[in-house]
Amino acid sequence: MTPFPGLPPKAVSGALSRFGPVESKGPFSHRAAVPPVSLRDALKVALSKLALDHMVQLATIDRGEAFELRYIMTGPHRALVTLTTTVPRTLGGLPSVHDLLPPAALFERQIHDLFGIEFTGHPGLKRLMLADDWPPGVFPLRRDFTVEGTPRRTKEAR
Amino acid sequence: MAEVMVPIGPQHPALSEPVNFKVFAEGETIKRLELDLSYNHRGIEKAAESRDFTRVVPLLERICGICGHAHTTAFAQGVEEAMGIQAPLRASYIRTIVGELERLHSHMLWLGVGAHEIGFQTLFMWTWRDREDVQDTMEEMTGNRVNYGMNKVGGVRRDLAPEVIDATHGRLDKLEERFQGYLEIVRTNRLIRERFAGVGKLTRAQALALGTVGPTARASGVDYDIRRDSPYAAYADLPFKVITEERGDVLGRTLVRVREMMESLKICRAALLDLPEGPIAVKAPRTAPPADIISRYEAPRGELVHTILTDGGDRVLRLDIRTPTFANWTSVAAALPGAHLADLPVVVAAIDPCLSCTSRVAVVDTRTSKRSTYTWDELRDWGIDRQKGRARGRPR
Repeated sequence: MTPFPGLPPKAVSGALSRFGPVESKGPFSHRAAVPPVSLRDALKVALSKLALDHMVQLATIDRGEAFELRYIMTGPHRALVTLTTTVPRTLGGLPSVHDLLPPAALFERQIHDLFGIEFTGHPGLKRLMLADDWPPGVFPLRRDFTVEGTPRRTKEAR
Repeated sequence: MAEVMVPIGPQHPALSEPVNFKVFAEGETIKRLELDLSYNHRGIEKAAESRDFTRVVPLLERICGICGHAHTTAFAQGVEEAMGIQAPLRASYIRTIVGELERLHSHMLWLGVGAHEIGFQTLFMWTWRDREDVQDTMEEMTGNRVNYGMNKVGGVRRDLAPEVIDATHGRLDKLEERFQGYLEIVRTNRLIRERFAGVGKLTRAQALALGTVGPTARASGVDYDIRRDSPYAAYADLPFKVITEERGDVLGRTLVRVREMMESLKICRAALLDLPEGPIAVKAPRTAPPADIISRYEAPRGELVHTILTDGGDRVLRLDIRTPTFANWTSVAAALPGAHLADLPVVVAAIDPCLSCTSRVAVVDTRTSKRSTYTWDELRDWGIDRQKGRARGRPR
């Protein structure tokens, strides 16, 4: 058992429910869905009101028609708070949060490289992971990326 | 004075791993740093989406040559949670023992590399000699010195025989004596003090703001350790302290690691003594229901995160891995400005960077903007042609 208290679900929903639905599984796991337009505001509120001082991960999931980005954070209470935002593929971008959450800058470069998502306001969205001669416009972690010989993963094939 | 750009890489001079820095210096003082992490992504996250759970485990073991067990444990525990099964208690203990031995050999390797960076070859030789004892134990337990292949979804693949446990106890006693010696050296040796003290300073506030993890963060007084904060495997039952230092410099990071080695010994001993009887694995179902898991593990270099999504099939929908080295890079970029150019290898080495686990993506070899791939046959033919001196450029 962890010696830490976690966060009461009420505190999380109190801070974040005005941006979108909040879901809590006990005191250690909270998730709030926010639209891309209010991402920065929601993040500011979360950082200041929920004592989040450590960024765990910026996870990316290609959902086909949209990309899902998850800003996972924790703090002295050791509860994981996830802000989830969904960016339609056609939109292709969302505001950078590098100034609010400094570790996000490197994550955003990585995601820009591998998924081709634009982060507006990022100071140096340069290539990070891929080789210099990697063709532009090819994003290897997107779901529709295939290499000849790599089995295409479809519902039928499973 | 004009700024001078010093390119370092694409192979790191000390670590023989792919990373490219552009260091901008004025005279001998570092002004800023630009980072290009890698050019050799291996496509492991993508490959994981096209294999069933059983076959992903050995793939993930190969993310890192040092902490492969960390990746497989994080993944196996995450998938077990998704499936709603629990590894037997004995398996959790064995995972913990292998995990701590892995931490020992990783920290000993680092101490050797750190010593080598400052020309302290004696300490380098000692730590690497003593590390062989850990490697021998690993070979006896798992059959391998690296890439242990111990984990599977549902438990572990090998049991610990009583004679292996006895031999391990003997080696741990010997190692404890050696570690006391290391601690004495790190605390008192003048060379270590002059090269490590005050170098690469990171305050507690900086370490927190920059998302630093593991010994790098704990050396700046940031008290995060997943083994205690969110216990997995058998850590909830075992006695250990989370080691922190307040110095925030390279010396602090060295002290944290050496003291953590002592704690790892304690954990190993306690786990070997209390090793519960019973099976070492449960049968895992072939598929996992739709689930959404954040699996965290305290790897030797810090917090390792696997975000695992399943959709009811026998494969992951998405596996997003955040390695500790990735989290620690930003702190290097922050610790270096103002430092002396000659301190750069030490500061970079002090986060114990593990680059191969940071880069996981490239699959295609391309020259033009068109995507082109080699088939195995083409590659072989090209090789034969080249051997015969008849190569006329690459195929296609």
